Amino acid sequence: MAAIMRMPEVLANATEAIIAKWLIAEGASFTIGQPMAEVETEKALVEVPAESDGILGKYLAQNGAHVQVGAPIAILLNVGEGQAEIDKSLTEVGADIPAPVVAATTPIAETTTPAPAAPVIAPAPVATPVQTNTGGRLFASPLARRLAKESGIDPASIQGTGPDGRIVRRDVQAAIAGGAKPSAAAVAAPIIPAGSFTDIPHSGMRKAIARRLTESKTTVPHFYLNAPVLADEMLKFRTSFNEWAPHKVSVTDLIVKTVAAAFSDVPAANVIWTDTALRQFSDVDVAVAVATDKGLVTPVIRGINHMSLIQLNAAATEIIDRARTGRLKQNEIEGGTFSVTNLGIYGTDEFSAILNPPQSAILAVGAAKQKPVVIDGQIVVRSVINFTMSVDHRAIDGALAAQWLAAFVKRFENPFWLAL
Amino acid sequence: MTERAPLEARAPWIELRTTADDWRSASPQLLENMLGQLHLIRAFEEVVLELAGEGLVHGPAHSSIGQEGGAVGSIISLGTKDAINGSHRGHHQFLAKVINHVSAGKLDVNALVTPALQEVLQKTLAEILGLAQGYCSGRGGSMHLQYFEAGALGTNAIVGGGVPLAAGNAWAQRKALTDNITVSYFGDGAVNIGSVLETMNLAAAWKLPMAFFIENNLYAVSTHVSEVTAEPRLSARALGFAIPSWKVDGMDPLAVHLAMKEAESHMRTGKGPVVIEADVYRYFHQNGPFPGSAFGYRSKEEEAQWRERDPLLRVANEMIALGLIDQAGVDSVREQALAANRLAAAALLEANPDAPGKRRIKPELWPDASFVNVGVRGDTSELNGARTLEPLKDSGPKTNMKFVDAVAGVIDAAMESDNRIVILGEDIHRLNGGTNGATKGLSKKFPDRVLGTPISENAFAGLGGGMALDGRFRPIVEFMYPDFMWVAADQVFNQIGKARHMFGGQNPVPLVLRTKVAIGSGYGSQHLMDPAGIFATSPGWRIVAASTPAEYIGLMNAALALQDPVLVLEHVDLYQDLGDVPENDFGYQIPFGKANIRREGKDATVLTYLSMVKHSLTAVEQTGMDAEVIDLRWLDRASIDWATIEASIKKTNNVLIVEQGALGTSYGGWLADEIHRRYFDWLDQPVQRVSGGEASPSISKVLERAAYAGVEEIVAGLGRVQAGFGGTH
Repeated sequence: MAAIMRMPEVLANATEAIIAKWLIAEGASFTIGQPMAEVETEKALVEVPAESDGILGKYLAQNGAHVQVGAPIAILLNVGEGQAEIDKSLTEVGADIPAPVVAATTPIAETTTPAPAAPVIAPAPVATPVQTNTGGRLFASPLARRLAKESGIDPASIQGTGPDGRIVRRDVQAAIAGGAKPSAAAVAAPIIPAGSFTDIPHSGMRKAIARRLTESKTTVPHFYLNAPVLADEMLKFRTSFNEWAPHKVSVTDLIVKTVAAAFSDVPAANVIWTDTALRQFSDVDVAVAVATDKGLVTPVIRGINHMSLIQLNAAATEIIDRARTGRLKQNEIEGGTFSVTNLGIYGTDEFSAILNPPQSAILAVGAAKQKPVVIDGQIVVRSVINFTMSVDHRAIDGALAAQWLAAFVKRFENPFWLAL
Repeated sequence: MTERAPLEARAPWIELRTTADDWRSASPQLLENMLGQLHLIRAFEEVVLELAGEGLVHGPAHSSIGQEGGAVGSIISLGTKDAINGSHRGHHQFLAKVINHVSAGKLDVNALVTPALQEVLQKTLAEILGLAQGYCSGRGGSMHLQYFEAGALGTNAIVGGGVPLAAGNAWAQRKALTDNITVSYFGDGAVNIGSVLETMNLAAAWKLPMAFFIENNLYAVSTHVSEVTAEPRLSARALGFAIPSWKVDGMDPLAVHLAMKEAESHMRTGKGPVVIEADVYRYFHQNGPFPGSAFGYRSKEEEAQWRERDPLLRVANEMIALGLIDQAGVDSVREQALAANRLAAAALLEANPDAPGKRRIKPELWPDASFVNVGVRGDTSELNGARTLEPLKDSGPKTNMKFVDAVAGVIDAAMESDNRIVILGEDIHRLNGGTNGATKGLSKKFPDRVLGTPISENAFAGLGGGMALDGRFRPIVEFMYPDFMWVAADQVFNQIGKARHMFGGQNPVPLVLRTKVAIGSGYGSQHLMDPAGIFATSPGWRIVAASTPAEYIGLMNAALALQDPVLVLEHVDLYQDLGDVPENDFGYQIPFGKANIRREGKDATVLTYLSMVKHSLTAVEQTGMDAEVIDLRWLDRASIDWATIEASIKKTNNVLIVEQGALGTSYGGWLADEIHRRYFDWLDQPVQRVSGGEASPSISKVLERAAYAGVEEIVAGLGRVQAGFGGTH
């Protein structure tokens, strides 16, 4: 029997996504696990795999279409099925337009539920919300809507905590306190003479970058540590290693590997901040900033503490390659405690990066350059890389960060441990 | 063997007929007045029907053509300070009374229509057409004609509805030590309705100078009187109430006049009410310009027989026979009357430019649409300069007092300082202050102003309404239980609540209605309502509700000072509560329209009243929520304190309306609706409500408790509000 393929919720609380590209043509067959379509969310371009074998009967959403999560996007057929099943499915789809989510408000009659004759004072019940608005409608109290509008916050960016997930005053106030991004409408467009510019519409990824980094920069208390590191030994190691290794490792690989090792030296720094607790990780998951034509993505390489340098290189090469071609899965860009961003390859000497929430630190890597260095009272020329670490002060205090950075520097300057 | 002794009715019941002697001894001026009035009224009604036929009368035009003899005969001898009221068919009575007023009882058949009379015709016609220059500014129309100064108290579209009001007027006339009387006109259809029979009983018991004037025209719309009663001689109703009664031919105006004179001497000498039944006939159907026979419920022959006995013909012929006038003179009277009424119509109409040959109402004569709600209540200017006090915030010396004693105390003090105040209700004069002690001591101190009533809520509420409309006295009516308002619903809602607005918005209705909510007392399904919701959604009423003795004093004083009907709510649960009241001071008013914030808070606004104020405060303390508890005190939509409510909602963004009584008739519905529309953008969740269930509270203690809201339900309501806050992931 024909099946309806619906827009998956590729991202928690996402309300819509874009069919970036169908990968299976109408009428073509597919097998289980085969990528059916590329779907672009605010955060990523993901491939949606087939859940079973079949034939793609008909697109219900074309390339480029913005589609509500849960809405039908294609009719899938079994072998031997044809137009009749498509027509039948179309009828079903017509009858299956997602109804608005009916809020389970307390009926008034319930307000009159008789109390027990003997008075028993129950504590006031607390909110038991958490319903995601999957119907595409955003539920917000009138006040919340007004406050969001006045403060220029896009209500869609707010997590509602009222009944049935309704966005209420407290949620907007929390968003204001947390510095949620102003909605486009609230930010006055700069007055520029017509004709001197071109407006390039934001892609989902561009919007996501803007939102997440604004949120980070405005809500996370950053502090910065700087360390010029002698890189000659590590660069020599890399040269030697690459002479016999099956795949050539990059400086970034080495940095990531060293990051993982530094966490084994100072595990207390392998934490992130949450509203209720400091979350301590045992494994080391590090994100690597990758520049793509569409913008910055930060795929996470997981369990680096269990990887050899060669394994790390293989994992990094594979995921960075997929990042560059927009084929990351959603879960590959989530999580981690730490990021590495390397603009040194562009010759940048030194820079500070913005934290990638929920991670608690990011290491900005400058270019390796020969510089005069004083060693044992002598001025000598050495290759130096400037590392700048941005740290979330909520999770990590300065001393801890400094300890961690010292461990990193020590290992980077003396890479013999890599042979262990 | 049983002994059987015949019994006789206490009051006489007679039929009065005229003789030739009567006509000879009638004064020529009286007959001239009669002839003139009859013709003016007849011509007026003909013009009204003419306009109705042209589609210019909006709504029904109940013609009195054929019935003029009853009205003219009975009114011709009345002075301006005598009063009348009437029913939906009342043009003839109204005109007769007003013509009396402007002509000082003297018409000249040779110069029938004075300018003052011409004005009467025009203003009456204008009112029937719904025009601004009418007696009630066009509000009343054909069925609500009022001209107080002329003693025309107002005609009434509820069958029998005006009769209790007339009793109140008669009560005031007697209490003011005048010999004036009140005549209430109604038809055969009204004889079988409770208001009339209740009022006959009450008026007889209290010996009120009032005439129950039955215009028996044989048909209640199309139903013949003999179909609906076994005693179609309707004046017989009086016998059951020991009221003297006259039956008279209404087609003979002199006979009616002579009966009325006999009745007047009875009424004006303090002997009590009378019943007069005048047999009359409306030549046309219930309304409109077609005869009843056209609708098949009576014959053309019957109509022709009655027309032969036409009262205009009768008076003219008798006068011609007596040599008082000739046919040319009669014709001249007819022509003058018709010309005057056509002139009145011409002043209001013009050629219709859109329909050649047709007329229309001059557009500029309509009332302005903005007048629609003016005068539903008064403007409260009567409270200007009143001494107000917030007793809960006042630091002066205090006395601790029970709530119920504050009720009796403030009424006592008010009656002491204002001898217009009269209280009436069931058992209020006995049992040491009525069933709850709320009128303790008053009947001894003011025996003639504390009136224990029969169990006739419709009659005594209406009697209070009549007193209030008269204005010489200020009634405090008590309903022993709120549910009894349904028994009196016509008087409470159709009459008292609407009277000011319906008659043009000018004449005040200062009446206080006290009743006690008795939820929790075990009196069951028919005694335990909270009436606030019904009154709040009915036009004209103001409502106050006190939660403490000291505020009761101030709210009662404000209620007594207002020129509007005010419901003063009490609660049996509060009667035994003790509270501090200002020492030796029963004279202050609570500021008009001011709520009282009993607890300040920032998380939710609890709007409540009466006994639920204390329960809400308790519930808030139990939950620990930082809720603001507002005692509304003034509950009706015209008096409620929007400023305080608004400030609180803008602060808390969450609202819980708390009341005790049943859901269906609850108070909070209209308030929630209004709040949603006024403050939508300030609300963080729907207005939440606490009320009782759908069922009325039962006698069974457990079921009664389950039916109403108490502290536990308020706690639960606060919980719902808290859930609505969100903020918890």
